[in-house]
Amino acid sequence: VRCQLSPPQRPLQASAVLRRVSDEQKKEPLASSSQQHFNSHPTDHQPEQEPQGPRPSYTGQGGQESEDYESEEQLQHRILTAALEFVPEHGWTAEAIAEGAKTLGLSVAAAGMFHSDGSELILHFVSQCNTKLSELLEQEQKLVQLGKAEKKPTEQFLRDAVEARLRMLIPYIEKWPQALSILLLPHNIPSSLNLLTSMIDDIWHYAGDQSTDFNWYTRRAVLTGVYNTTELVMIQDSSPDFEDTWRFLENRVADAMNMGNTAHQVQSTGEAVVQGLMGAAVTVSNAETVRAVR
Amino acid sequence: GDIAFRFINYVRSVRERQLQQKLKHHQNLSWQEIAESYLEDKFKSLGDSQVVVCDINKEMLKVGKQKAQQLGYLEGLSWVLGNAEELPFDDDKFDVYTIAFGIRNVTRIDLALEEAYRVLKPGGRFLCLEFSHVSNPLLSRLYDLYSFQVIPVLGEVIAGDWKSYQYLVESIRRFPPQEEFKAMIEDAGFLKVDYQNLNLGIVAIHSGFKL
Repeated sequence: VRCQLSPPQRPLQASAVLRRVSDEQKKEPLASSSQQHFNSHPTDHQPEQEPQGPRPSYTGQGGQESEDYESEEQLQHRILTAALEFVPEHGWTAEAIAEGAKTLGLSVAAAGMFHSDGSELILHFVSQCNTKLSELLEQEQKLVQLGKAEKKPTEQFLRDAVEARLRMLIPYIEKWPQALSILLLPHNIPSSLNLLTSMIDDIWHYAGDQSTDFNWYTRRAVLTGVYNTTELVMIQDSSPDFEDTWRFLENRVADAMNMGNTAHQVQSTGEAVVQGLMGAAVTVSNAETVRAVR
Repeated sequence: GDIAFRFINYVRSVRERQLQQKLKHHQNLSWQEIAESYLEDKFKSLGDSQVVVCDINKEMLKVGKQKAQQLGYLEGLSWVLGNAEELPFDDDKFDVYTIAFGIRNVTRIDLALEEAYRVLKPGGRFLCLEFSHVSNPLLSRLYDLYSFQVIPVLGEVIAGDWKSYQYLVESIRRFPPQEEFKAMIEDAGFLKVDYQNLNLGIVAIHSGFKL
């Protein structure tokens, strides 16, 4: 958006990298909207690009007719996605981001665009996982609607949804405690909490939650408690394929379902939340200790 | 020169940390392998990192070289004579371009910014440390007083050179304020341009990325 307001020459010079890089992507959902922004620029500026000297090889073709400009944000997302590959080795750090930038043909200095504590990388990852979960649940719902699959009972549905989401952590599980402690930093809490609540909302939405009463809050709090506690169990679980975690999850969901009347629910909600927080505090202090020792 | 030394120190410390981490992960290395990795580190303590120091003035380069030798910085440094408005380097060569208290003295700042853009690799970062404008009115008055009444006098007394220090103070005043300089950097093609004031604006660090 900022590109639109500046003098005509700037977007063409500035987005040399952005534009070419986006050529490589066949499916860029936002590209078509950004195309509209730049169609207003006169095309006689186009030739100015050519004499700018040899470009590195990742650009591919020399002449560019496409006007697919990529915004800074999109480029940042691509760098972060590329950086995830390096997290198991470098942790959620600026080093991982630098390595990610390198794979995109950018200088490692590009990592300077992000916070040095790796916050954006973690938030990006969480957001990606949530999107994947939504897509998964959406697909499942379609199958049910088409009659190709049975509608799962709520308990089963919740268990499977939480398990699916937590399984996405497995490749990064070693460094996940570090991520959790960063997500709990004051400047990250608004974003991380937001991501968590919308994920929980999503799950309940696909579970067919129609409630508009007090139960809406209770259900979310309860499921949040289940999710958080299971996550904490998972990072300390060394059983094969995390079977201990899934058993824990099964029990917690069963508990949640068995809560009868509202009063009991409120009390259990409170307990679940407190338990979750206590577990989180212990984990964070453990994670910090481990990190300090390293 | 000074930034070059800091950079070299930084690279060395990062590599040392990486080496330590590597050794920690491979607990079962033989003594031979450990010795080899330390040796390699000694010969190539900078890895592939290099610093090029460029200045338009030969005397400045000489001073820089002497200082480097005195402080023991022998490897990874090269000294090039050049004009910021027309750099003797190819396109897309550097990861980082820094200029400290130098861009103020360039006649055509926009050309220097364009050259910086040209020689940076995609993803590369431009960093500029320069005197800037103080917005706080009280500090501004004190600063002006100090600049025009004290600095040239000290210059005359200590270095016998009133004129140079008069020039210094005037050139500081002539330099565009933070936002304007930020716009100039954006005009050269940099993105995610930002600045950080030091000492309430007496000095500012501007940063931009070639994306």
